[in-house]
Amino acid sequence: MRRLIINLNNKKENNLIFDKSGNYLVFFKNLSGEFNFRIEAENVNLEIYGLFIGKNNDQFTIKTIQHHIVPNSSSNLLIKGVFFDQAKFFYRGLVRIEKGAQKSHAYQKNKNLVLSDNVDIDSKPDLEILANDVFCTHGSTTGYLSKDEIFYLKSRGLKENQAKDLLIEGFINEIASKFKI
Amino acid sequence: MDDLTFDYRYGFKVKENYVFKSRKGLDRKLVAEISYLKKEPKWMTKIRLEAYDNFVKKSIPSWGADLSKINFDDIYYYIKPTDKPVSSWQDLPKEIKETYDKIGVPQAERDFLAGVSAQYESEVVYKSIQKELSRQGVVFLDMDSGLREHPEIVKEYFGKIVPSSDNKFASLNTSVWSGGSFLYVPKGVRVSLPLQAYFRINAERFGQFERTLIIAEEGSYVHYIEGCTAPIYTTSSLHSAVVEIIVKKGARVRYTTVQNWSHNVYNLVTKRAKVEEEGVMEWVDCNIGSYVTMKYPSCILAGKGAKGEVLSIAYASGNQHQDAGAKMIHLAPKTTSRIISKSIAKNSGRTSYRGLVYVSPAAKESKVYVSCDALLLDEVSRSDTYPTMKIKNKQVEVQHEATVEKIGEEKLFYLQSRGINKAEAEGLLVNGFIEPITKEIPLEYTVELNRLINLEMSGSVG
Repeated sequence: MRRLIINLNNKKENNLIFDKSGNYLVFFKNLSGEFNFRIEAENVNLEIYGLFIGKNNDQFTIKTIQHHIVPNSSSNLLIKGVFFDQAKFFYRGLVRIEKGAQKSHAYQKNKNLVLSDNVDIDSKPDLEILANDVFCTHGSTTGYLSKDEIFYLKSRGLKENQAKDLLIEGFINEIASKFKI
Repeated sequence: MDDLTFDYRYGFKVKENYVFKSRKGLDRKLVAEISYLKKEPKWMTKIRLEAYDNFVKKSIPSWGADLSKINFDDIYYYIKPTDKPVSSWQDLPKEIKETYDKIGVPQAERDFLAGVSAQYESEVVYKSIQKELSRQGVVFLDMDSGLREHPEIVKEYFGKIVPSSDNKFASLNTSVWSGGSFLYVPKGVRVSLPLQAYFRINAERFGQFERTLIIAEEGSYVHYIEGCTAPIYTTSSLHSAVVEIIVKKGARVRYTTVQNWSHNVYNLVTKRAKVEEEGVMEWVDCNIGSYVTMKYPSCILAGKGAKGEVLSIAYASGNQHQDAGAKMIHLAPKTTSRIISKSIAKNSGRTSYRGLVYVSPAAKESKVYVSCDALLLDEVSRSDTYPTMKIKNKQVEVQHEATVEKIGEEKLFYLQSRGINKAEAEGLLVNGFIEPITKEIPLEYTVELNRLINLEMSGSVG
């Protein structure tokens, strides 16, 4: 099976149409805009990974649409964000499964790590499902660094800052490791 | 609204015999007239008129369900019923009696629901409950009597949680409200029995624009139940209620709704609770009936350590659209909220979960958990999930998850292989799916709800 890797930051394209079966991997970093992933072929396996690191007055507004028009394809989206200072992050995600798109699998996940009180996060992952023989999930979590984990790392001799850096790195790695393929 | 004719299996009508029936449509004069007929204090008339102005100004929400077919000029806004409905058990259509049989509604309750008796209670039970309540200092009246007998309490809280400018339907309700419950629980009082509108004297049962106000003083507890599993037929096609609840420090209120309006009703309801320090508010919301429902019970978590919970079930079949959800507004530190929503769509029904979680900068160390599961029973039905999360501070934990799936084919196959027919097997699986919520409501309701789901699943009565 072919496998196509798309770097959305370079691609400068908002409408991505998948009309040939195969494996696709889309990734992007700190990207704002509206992106439409339209699946028009069966047996498309689409993976979408996004990473956001917001500092100072950074502001990101992103909308993703996983649009399944035909049956038997899957799409899997994971967006992770780490936000410092006064960073703002607005996420709108939509999974839409059309009537004919039976046996679709669509996943959508947004995980955010918040490191400052002045951060503003607005996450809206929507589902619109018009077919019944599908499996769709979405999830969104927003949290801060666990005090227990920091405490543990400090007890092993790390300084507070080192412990935090390590935990943030671990959080990002789930996405970063995909970039390296 | 005349074009909305529905084949409502469980519907029945009671002959109209009204003392006063206002004309169709709404204007300032009618609003003032309603207030005059009810002999209300001036301040309430003023609230009603202000609300009417808001109603005219506000537009119909453009998001959510399609409300464009509502014709506000074709609705009676105030009907004062006679003391006793004219009807008898024998006059009821066969189907409705059968439905009651299948759900297992007790005879006394059937008479009440069918409009055969004005009140559902045996005098003895009813009197002992009222006696116990008044001994504890609990006030439980219909809203009109509440206003008459306790104007100072009503004045203090009415419209404070849901202002009339909140949304078009809250304005409408505030201007023409009638009926509903007024419940006041004094400090430290725990009402052990779930309270239902049945227990009120001369209860106006299911008002079109009912208004409910519940005040739970410090450390008190009460469970209020609204509606019933048996189908409720109404000729009026718009039901727009407002429910306001104040949960004071350390108090706990649970509000259970089982909504089963006939399939011609627009059910547009605003329900909101303000929860103070260490208070707990729990909404259990089951939507089975109506044509369109838009209802998002809300908790404003205003005091430190306040807790809010919404458990929601929605069932849509035919051309029904259940647009239900919840709102959690975290305004104070260490507040927690939990939303669990389960929806089922069948026969081109549409269920939508729509929710808002807002965590303000002040709400440090707050926790939010949202879970929405949807079941789609055939290829013509639809399910949507529209959650919104606004997080304005770092010391929070927010979790949201949603799944949409169909009924498990293996499970269905297994049950059928054991000799259970398909409709029954589906009913069994659907009841299992909603069980985490139904186990939270009183047993007799759970039993009726399960039977009702089975009935809806098997597609016909008999």
